[in-house]
Amino acid sequence: MTEISIAAASTVTGADLPAARLGQRFGRLDLQSQLALLAVASLNVNFDGLPRDRTGICLAASAGSLSTDVNFWNGRHAVGGPSPTLFAYTLPSAAVGEVAIHFRLTGPNLCFVGDDKIILPEAADLLRRGEADACVCIYCDVVTADCSKIISLPPAAMARAFFLKNGGGGICTLPEFDRDMKALSAIIFQTKSAG
Amino acid sequence: MQISTHELKSKIIESLKLQDITPEQIDDDAPLFGTGLGLDSIDALELVVLLEKEYGIVIKDIEEGRPAFRSVRTLADFIAVKRPQ
Repeated sequence: MTEISIAAASTVTGADLPAARLGQRFGRLDLQSQLALLAVASLNVNFDGLPRDRTGICLAASAGSLSTDVNFWNGRHAVGGPSPTLFAYTLPSAAVGEVAIHFRLTGPNLCFVGDDKIILPEAADLLRRGEADACVCIYCDVVTADCSKIISLPPAAMARAFFLKNGGGGICTLPEFDRDMKALSAIIFQTKSAG
Repeated sequence: MQISTHELKSKIIESLKLQDITPEQIDDDAPLFGTGLGLDSIDALELVVLLEKEYGIVIKDIEEGRPAFRSVRTLADFIAVKRPQ
């Protein structure tokens, strides 16, 4: 069986955003997309050296796009209506698109709502099935204060990213079985932090 | 009443949350979309909202608004003509 390893890892929080310099349009993104993009940029992977169409993206979001949905809903009484820009981010997969656009990654992509433990097994499956040679994995834990009041979860603003690739080396090699990968996910995705 | 292009550019930067760009760096006559400032269709919708919020101008006919969105100067001229007194 082909070995798969985690080649790079990063964690960012809301506190890291003010210093982020990821282009003129970074400010337009919703919080989840900003954190996802910054987490991937913080991996310091040279995507120029990889085939873009063979690099996938696998993202899980703890609360989907709910924080942005709430922001959009709260703007409904504003003059001119809620922000059209915000509307574009009222989908859990919006951050996948932003990462794909920014890093010009055109490989397969997956988006999950909720369970962070699914990312590594699903990303590993992409590689094992030969659909990709590498995969950017992202877990976003974003719960804004307004959203927190509704879903009774503590506020959070954090994203973690991992870069999976075929072959050994890197930070660690992935276990062979899904259950062990889920256990590994539980370890590496466990920290939640408010930003 | 004519508004200054500097004021309009500041509002555009704020409304579209553009980063690392100042009003002085935006050419009054440069295209807003495509080349020039490089705005896209979502930005166009945000500018329509900006006109309503800041200047009380409601664009009901896209064909009427299209020429206004060519540049900052054409937008400032449009606001001067359409702004409720």
